[in-house]
Amino acid sequence: MTREITYIEAIAEAISEEMERDEDVILFGEDVQEFGGNFGETAGLWETHGRDRVRNTPLSEIGIAGMALGAAVGGIRPVAELQFADFAATAGDEMFNQIPKQPYVSGGDLKAPLTIFAPSGAGVGAGAQHSQSVHSWIGNVPGWVVVTATTPYDAKGLFKSAIRDDNPVFFLPHKMLTEAKGEVPEEEYTLPLGEAAVEQEGDDVTVVATQLMFHRAREAAADLDVSVELVSPRTFAPLDTDTIAESVEKTGRLVVVDETVERYGTQGHIANEIVENNFFSLDAPPKTIGVKDVPIPVSPVLEQEVLPSADRIKAGIESVF
Amino acid sequence: MTVDEDTSKELLWEMLRIQEFEDEIKSRFQAGDLPGFVHLDRGHEGNHAGMGLAMGDDDWLAVGGARLVGQYVAKGVPLGEIMAELYGKSTGSNKGYGGQMHVSNVERKLYGHAATIGSGQNPAVGLALAEDVKGTDNVAVTTIGDGGTSRGSFHTALVFAAYWNLPVVFVIENNQWAISTPSSDLAPDHLSDYGIPHKMHNESIDGSDVEAVYESVSGAIERARNGDGPSVIECNVVRLGPHFEGDKESYRDPEELEVAKEEKDPVKNHRERLLESGVVTEQEIEDRLETIREEVEESVDFAKNSDDPKPEDAYKNVYRLPLYGQEE
Repeated sequence: MTREITYIEAIAEAISEEMERDEDVILFGEDVQEFGGNFGETAGLWETHGRDRVRNTPLSEIGIAGMALGAAVGGIRPVAELQFADFAATAGDEMFNQIPKQPYVSGGDLKAPLTIFAPSGAGVGAGAQHSQSVHSWIGNVPGWVVVTATTPYDAKGLFKSAIRDDNPVFFLPHKMLTEAKGEVPEEEYTLPLGEAAVEQEGDDVTVVATQLMFHRAREAAADLDVSVELVSPRTFAPLDTDTIAESVEKTGRLVVVDETVERYGTQGHIANEIVENNFFSLDAPPKTIGVKDVPIPVSPVLEQEVLPSADRIKAGIESVF
Repeated sequence: MTVDEDTSKELLWEMLRIQEFEDEIKSRFQAGDLPGFVHLDRGHEGNHAGMGLAMGDDDWLAVGGARLVGQYVAKGVPLGEIMAELYGKSTGSNKGYGGQMHVSNVERKLYGHAATIGSGQNPAVGLALAEDVKGTDNVAVTTIGDGGTSRGSFHTALVFAAYWNLPVVFVIENNQWAISTPSSDLAPDHLSDYGIPHKMHNESIDGSDVEAVYESVSGAIERARNGDGPSVIECNVVRLGPHFEGDKESYRDPEELEVAKEEKDPVKNHRERLLESGVVTEQEIEDRLETIREEVEESVDFAKNSDDPKPEDAYKNVYRLPLYGQEE
């Protein structure tokens, strides 16, 4: 049985169910109680689970991220929210040096089963410091599992797995998808981390796309005469290159669309994996499409200019034939 | 609270153990056996021993600042495991992945160290949160140097600990130098004053007096266990050696350092005090030193005779695999 819920409802459900299932799961962040998060992602959770397990914090990402690390090592499963993915930078040392490295430098003895989640992406006119897609920053540091979601189904299943995983997981919902509706099972389910999903089968070209860009790529594909295979990586780090390689083996062409900036973005990494290891599967050079190498501007006209549009994706797909 | 004679002696033995172990580390480093940097604790032994003895086995220690090894010793990590880690051997506490800056031992509730100085205090607050959520009466003790207190992360940790009244003891080892920057140039009279705006218990003590450290930290732990919240203790010590081995210390006044060595050496002071009061005899100290030297020698033999990690082990422990939901 399924029902239709929004992406943000899926996230709240995932947290609530995991808190219900495991008393070690604790949620904290700025404004997660009555306020319910900027997008409603934590609405009502404190009423169900109490103020000891759903905790408002003072305004400091350093405190939230650093404390999540200690709490996880101390034997509970913290789920901590940063209000915007951009704010990962304000907890730079915790996000780059502490969380992903402590398990490794301990020789694997120390376990840090924490989840930090943060709305990412552009499109709401929130400007240069509230609109970035930062998964290339974080994915660059070995030790983080970096997960994203394109649909309510993904959001719920992947978030539940993120909470259960024994690694530090950085989970990135997309702001523009919060109200997107989709089918979600009534019954309990999880989705595997570290595995890409072929969302739409096709024969002529593989398009790897994420979050909002996945939806734009689907729109672009529907407008073309070629048969597009759509792949959602779901997890950026570690990346499931096998599924992407198998798809390219079949189609011979690759287009990668993501909202990180093109300079040193995830698109380049994904394309490089295929070029280096599966070069002879390719009938044409891969095409990478991302945010132009500028900060995200506020004016809707300017903002849409720098984001990959369905038209730009369409042109990108056409360019590999 | 007064320190009984047995505890007084324990404090001396632990300081001597730290000192002897570190003298050997210094020799091993000078011989070129150890990779990386070595930061030693001369002048801080009283702080480490006093704090270590005040803690229970189930209390967490999150090490900060740059004076590390004595704290690992004080938390009960066997000398062989520490020495092997300094050598980068597979038998080290961290199997050679961590080194001097990252010795951790989760079983003994040694969280380890944030080598970016000042980043270890928020994880300590998180450790205290975990104990609080689980309903234990365990506490988290976290150390930092005077330099680290200038980091915003340190102040954030105070905010969060006070906000939830968590069982954390912040120990500031003020040894007067952040490498070459003097702490006397910082504005507060005492670095423990940083606890004042948070309405947190705060005190500034002579950290070269091992009994004073033991008493203060014991009191703070007691308060934390009883739900009376966090404390900040400034322990004033003198760094009797260089910042790291090889530091020429061009920024220090050699005469002042000589005076400090006479007056502020915690090992020497406590030893003299116990001899004068008749709590120990020279013979007892000699006997104990012999035992300690054997233990230190064994730790070196253990490290030297241990295997290096296999090169392919570099790729282990980045992730716990399989990830959730993946097939093995």
